[in-house]
Amino acid sequence: MTLHIVSKSPFSSTALSDCLDAFGDGDALLLIEDGVYALSGRMAEQPAVKPVYCLAADAAARGLQIPASVTAVDDAGWVALCTEHNPIVSWFK
Amino acid sequence: MTKRLLALCRQAPYGNALAREGLEAILAAAAMEQVADILFCGDGVFQLLPEQLPADIEQKSLQRNLQALPVFGVEQAFICSKSLAQRGLDIDTLVQGELVLVPVDDSAALIASYDSVLSF
Amino acid sequence: MRSILIDDREIPLDKEGFLRELDDWTPVVAEQLARAEGIELTDAHWEIIELLQQFYREFELSPAMRPLVKYIGQHLGAEKGRSIYLMQLFPPSPAKIGSKIAGLPKPTNCL
Repeated sequence: MTLHIVSKSPFSSTALSDCLDAFGDGDALLLIEDGVYALSGRMAEQPAVKPVYCLAADAAARGLQIPASVTAVDDAGWVALCTEHNPIVSWFK
Repeated sequence: MTKRLLALCRQAPYGNALAREGLEAILAAAAMEQVADILFCGDGVFQLLPEQLPADIEQKSLQRNLQALPVFGVEQAFICSKSLAQRGLDIDTLVQGELVLVPVDDSAALIASYDSVLSF
Repeated sequence: MRSILIDDREIPLDKEGFLRELDDWTPVVAEQLARAEGIELTDAHWEIIELLQQFYREFELSPAMRPLVKYIGQHLGAEKGRSIYLMQLFPPSPAKIGSKIAGLPKPTNCL
């Protein structure tokens, strides 16, 4: 199923909301770069969206805690997600 | 087996180059006889508003360019129903030409049916 | 800079021989651009040139090979809507050479 990668803050871009409108059963969501700002509250409102992954280095760099409902991944984990899913959709703007 | 390609077009025309780049990618793929489809969602649905007159801002009409899709072999374009509704648009008020607009309620299932998705 | 001379007027071309100013196009300019490609224009050429210009007015872009073949077929029938026919008129690359002679911009996706 589809891997959705969101790299913009949900407070400055429609990337996350557009992505969630196109999120299906069995899909996965990966937050990277400014996409990790979704961790500050927004994801808690979306219980239907799972699994959610987050690039640990991007969250740490921005001083964000990763909640228990979100799985932290490193670069190798990101690559693994890409090989496990198809297609991959990048929501980058 | 032929790879199926989807261009996901989320940007309004003219404000940045992404809308045009999405169209160019699809036209290039179609010219190479690939299976290439297009899904308009988010502000991308604004690309289909009729009577765009961008000459005074020194741009080519994207709406006219889009009408070239059928002659390039792309007969239909998918359009996200929810994005239309959010923007108060009705599919019947959008550009009507050779290009058949197909409303999509479940974009997740549509996206999942492709081998590759390009975002614009 | 490359150019062609017509009635003492210098008409600038880009390095591939396309008109720099699309407004410079006239039938006489077309004949000279064709001659530079080794093509003598006949009625068969002119009906394609007119359709290339119609294509550009309709879609505001220059055609690639496949859409050109389809468009010509729609307007002039299946006999002329074939790549071999267009190849004979505008060798070796009908979309590109035809667009050049018709005064259209270089096709951006002429693959």
